[in-house]
Amino acid sequence: MARGTGEPDDVTATAWRWRAAASLLVGLGVVLGTVVGHDRWWPLAPMAQYAFGVDPDGEIRSTYVEGDTTAGTTERVVFGMDGIGLGRAELEGQLDRVIADPSLLQAIAVAHSRRMPDQPGYTELRMKQRVSTLVDGDEASRDDVLLAAWVVPDPEDPQVLDR
Amino acid sequence: MTPTPRRSRNSATIKDFAKAPQRLNAWLFTEMPLARVALLRVAVFAFVVIDVLKLHTSGYFHGAADPVWYKPLVIGEILSLPAATLLMVGLLKWGSVVFALAAMTGKAPRALGWATAICWTWYQYVAFAYGKVDHDRADFVIALFLLPTVGLAHLSDERKSQAAGFALRAVQLAAIATYFLSSIAKIRFGGWEWVNSATMARAVVRRGTWVSDWMLDVPFLLHAAQWGLFSAELLSPVIFFLSERWRRRMVLAWYLFHVATYAAITIAFYPHLVMMLAFLPLEEYRDTAVSRWRRWRAARENQTT
Repeated sequence: MARGTGEPDDVTATAWRWRAAASLLVGLGVVLGTVVGHDRWWPLAPMAQYAFGVDPDGEIRSTYVEGDTTAGTTERVVFGMDGIGLGRAELEGQLDRVIADPSLLQAIAVAHSRRMPDQPGYTELRMKQRVSTLVDGDEASRDDVLLAAWVVPDPEDPQVLDR
Repeated sequence: MTPTPRRSRNSATIKDFAKAPQRLNAWLFTEMPLARVALLRVAVFAFVVIDVLKLHTSGYFHGAADPVWYKPLVIGEILSLPAATLLMVGLLKWGSVVFALAAMTGKAPRALGWATAICWTWYQYVAFAYGKVDHDRADFVIALFLLPTVGLAHLSDERKSQAAGFALRAVQLAAIATYFLSSIAKIRFGGWEWVNSATMARAVVRRGTWVSDWMLDVPFLLHAAQWGLFSAELLSPVIFFLSERWRRRMVLAWYLFHVATYAAITIAFYPHLVMMLAFLPLEEYRDTAVSRWRRWRAARENQTT
């Protein structure tokens, strides 16, 4: 029955019932998601893009991870596909987890040694935040805060920790 | 001929309210052209291909992330979805592409459509289960799962169906709900003072372009834009009560808003832009374009002979 001939299959009583039920469920889920839900409810998460007010006298925080290497240098850890496979905003979405359990940073040492075996390994990793304080929208001062630190066991050949 | 007594359109009676469920039902299941669904499907599936290959690729590199960073969402806990691996993201990515391309032929619309829907939605899940959720992609899930329910629909189909009407209506509702619920989320998270906060200024500071940077020097403009956007989102459901002509103008206005947003902060809610097509008589536009092109070609051939 292609090309527009005959009667199309139309909505039978059964088809109507499950459409109605699915609509009610999805509608309810979306409304609940917006009113009390949070990001973890996706795809029923609230549409919170740019929903947060910004205080012109507040502070802006940006997270980074720095690592001491076996060569005695200190460098910034690279995010994304070429680095740890995780974006900066994504690590920022997991700050609480890392602060509660800094051994999660071991995963960064392991990923680094696997992906860049020629580079010196990390001996210690520190997750930090640069806090810029705004006064009337201008950056008045900045400060670096340590959130979590992890000393890497066996930095030449770091292993995944048993969990 | 005796004149029938006419009631003013605005005087709703109790009877009218009692009929509301039936009218809602009739409105949700209005017969609409199958060709429109077929065209919307082409747009939706073409978008899936472009999206997984070019636009939204964070799902892919999560295949390389250590599983400790996997932070399952609620739906992942319910379905016990595992952490991503390179094999998994490869299958989801190329599954999306292959199924979407196959679905564009219009064959086996349910099987291929739902296979595409599952691959794409899962791939988005992988992108969002590592600490950051994007908010412009949920309504597209509805389009992907609903369009297959219409069944066979040919591009040159001349039939109409209620199933087509329901699918198009639901996509329209989901698209408008995105706007409306964004305004509710602003009230919830930003509070009523959101309209007076520096949200847009911050967005321009972080992501501004030459089109928008000068606006920072005219704070009144960004402030007014916040009021405008918030009002437009809150009032967006009005689109369903307008005449057809004004409805299309409103869709055009939303498209212009998204163009302006892109020019100002290089953010575009691409899947949502595809959803908004559900408001337009795509098959009429196609027919007009085709006949214009034929006339233009005929005129050129007449000139050369």
